[in-house]
Amino acid sequence: MIAVEGLRKRFGDRTVLDGIDHRQERGQSVVLIGPSGCGKTTFLRCLNQLETPDAGRITIADVTIEAGGRVDRERQRQLRLRAGMVFQQFHLFPHLTALGNVMEAPVRVLGRPRDAVEAQALGLLEQVGLSQHAGHRPGQLSGGQQQRVAIARALAMEPAVLLLDEPTSALDPELREEVRDVLRRLADEGSTMLTVTHDMQLARDIADTVLFFHAGTIVESGPPEQLFGDPVHERTREFLRSVRD
Amino acid sequence: METHCVGPARRDDEAGRPKRGRGARSLAWLLVLLVPFFGGVGAFKTSAADAWDEVSRAGILRYANDAEGGAPYIFHPPGSPDQLTGFEVDLAAAIAGRLGLKPAFVQNNWDVILPALNQGGSFDVVIAGIEWTPENRAKVALSRPYFAFGQQLVVRADATGLDSLDALRGKRVGVLSATASFRMLEKHGGIDARVYQDNVNYFRDLESGRLDAVLTDTPIARVNLAGNDKLRRAGPPFAPGFYAVAVRPGETALLARIDGAIDALLKDGTLEKIYRKYDLWDDGQAALTAWKPGGETTAEKHSALKEWGTYLPILLRASVTTIWVTCSGMALAVVLGLGLAIVRLYGPAPARWAAIAYIEVFRGTPLLLQIYFIYFGLAQQLGVRLSAGFAAVIALGLNYAATEAENYRAGIEGVPKGQLEASLALGMKRRLALRRILLPQALRISLPSVTNDFIAMFKDSSIVSVIALVELTKEYQIRAIDTGDYVGLGLMTAGIYFAMSYTASLGARALERKLGHDRR
Repeated sequence: MIAVEGLRKRFGDRTVLDGIDHRQERGQSVVLIGPSGCGKTTFLRCLNQLETPDAGRITIADVTIEAGGRVDRERQRQLRLRAGMVFQQFHLFPHLTALGNVMEAPVRVLGRPRDAVEAQALGLLEQVGLSQHAGHRPGQLSGGQQQRVAIARALAMEPAVLLLDEPTSALDPELREEVRDVLRRLADEGSTMLTVTHDMQLARDIADTVLFFHAGTIVESGPPEQLFGDPVHERTREFLRSVRD
Repeated sequence: METHCVGPARRDDEAGRPKRGRGARSLAWLLVLLVPFFGGVGAFKTSAADAWDEVSRAGILRYANDAEGGAPYIFHPPGSPDQLTGFEVDLAAAIAGRLGLKPAFVQNNWDVILPALNQGGSFDVVIAGIEWTPENRAKVALSRPYFAFGQQLVVRADATGLDSLDALRGKRVGVLSATASFRMLEKHGGIDARVYQDNVNYFRDLESGRLDAVLTDTPIARVNLAGNDKLRRAGPPFAPGFYAVAVRPGETALLARIDGAIDALLKDGTLEKIYRKYDLWDDGQAALTAWKPGGETTAEKHSALKEWGTYLPILLRASVTTIWVTCSGMALAVVLGLGLAIVRLYGPAPARWAAIAYIEVFRGTPLLLQIYFIYFGLAQQLGVRLSAGFAAVIALGLNYAATEAENYRAGIEGVPKGQLEASLALGMKRRLALRRILLPQALRISLPSVTNDFIAMFKDSSIVSVIALVELTKEYQIRAIDTGDYVGLGLMTAGIYFAMSYTASLGARALERKLGHDRR
């Protein structure tokens, strides 16, 4: 479902991604952990072309983009349609209601009929526990509620994979559980997810596989019990000790 | 009154110092400016004696005129733009010479030349085609006449049947602001009077078909019709009148000397020589010799506040023009500005440069210049004849579009970057993201600045009066000159402006509240 080969990205002199290879099957939930600035968010943003990689090849479902050469905006868009994105800071559209946020892209981008989209959107809001808040604007919602709307918004496009960039980091600790709860259910239902997070609780809950990122490379990967319980690399152990403290 | 503010300054003079003390002088100035404002014109006298003492001591006769007045009164001769000539320039020199003085020209806007005289200070007399009328005699002291003129109708050469005021009912007639011609049209009624600030542009507008006729003084008609085969006089001159020199009320000694000088110049043929030089001498000037001083002036004093029932409706009618010019101008500015902002931010390079050039040019040049260019320039060079109202809306709209474009650009750039990323991540094209996500948020950000500009335009719209559109400020000017009541009418006019701006800002605040849901 996701195939990445030799992905490289530099910002100025700094190499952020140093030849990443990654494969992920349908229904698999992968979590990326690692110290700040190790390149995990850049990796996620390269996947849906919010950053343009310098080298490498990205395939999501049936769309492949090869880095280098002219940017093909239409192909980028096709790739993005297959990869739903959830941001750390939610980025809900403040001038639209929760329902409007969820309906906007299916109606405007996919051109689906409004009533069908509305029914689907209300269903999604119910799934994330917000059917009571469909008419509220983002400014009237808590952070946790906003992030759940953002997840519903991404799901409404029925993407092949869901990319989540630190989905609980901007939330107060007591609000994180409501978002984790939604993501746990998605993982259980067999969604293909790739999540960047510092929230180890979330990583344990939803990961089939955990990747440990360091200095632009994947240092170690494995199922959560193994990676958290018995990490192979010294770097991984150091990192896990630091987040436990 | 005897120990008035300029007293100390005068003592300096008596002590033999050539120049007055600076401090005392600026204080005197301040009071001179304030006293007529609060105390009324009549309460002010410059000194115990008369301006004549001062004039004769200085040896200079400072006379005011408006160089914009044009030929034959006062103008820059073709080819010598830094010189001044005209029959009033020659006349001023002759009067001064007769009195053993040197003439010194002081420029003053003609519209307000009499109030400026009464405020004292920068000139001693006005020699600027001031008409010998009861209205003017109520404001200033007038000398014996130096020129006899009549009212002349001017029409296009091919016009027929438009040779009297009665025939001009419902027609557009150009007229100079604050003149006997204007008052004549007003009294006559039923004529669509278009008020101009100068003696030249109404002839252009008559030629180009924006006017059906011009009513003006005979000397103006004579000079402007010479060598012009597109226009002709319609009917003989009528309603004879005189021009006279104006001095401040009560300055009898100065006035007596001016009267004497004009008398002498008339008798020794100097006046005739001057007027012949400008081809102005005609049989009508015989009236100068026959002239006898009239009785006391009978023009009544007006108080706009007491007669509000008369003046408020007049001002309100003018404010309708202000409102529609402003609202249409702003509508144009908003639409055009939005287009400019988008092209500037997202257009291909050449279009982007063009948008930047537009914005810088229209922001960086005066609105007044742009109005002249659009109204007169286009008609002259391209034959594009916009009506005054239309030209005003276009000029205000084009000018403000530059400002609005920058408001919107700031608004668009003020939308967090994450909004575009979220839109793109959902598969939106940039155009769709701009229209549905960025612009609605950007407009909310820009709204306070746009409101500000809207209110500013209510006030800026007064500039359009230069192209013969009588809006609120112009109407105020006309009525204030007529009645001399600058304060009462000013308060009324300010009140109307305030009501318009305040309504606009209340509306904008309501709109901001309505759109402001996204902010907690």
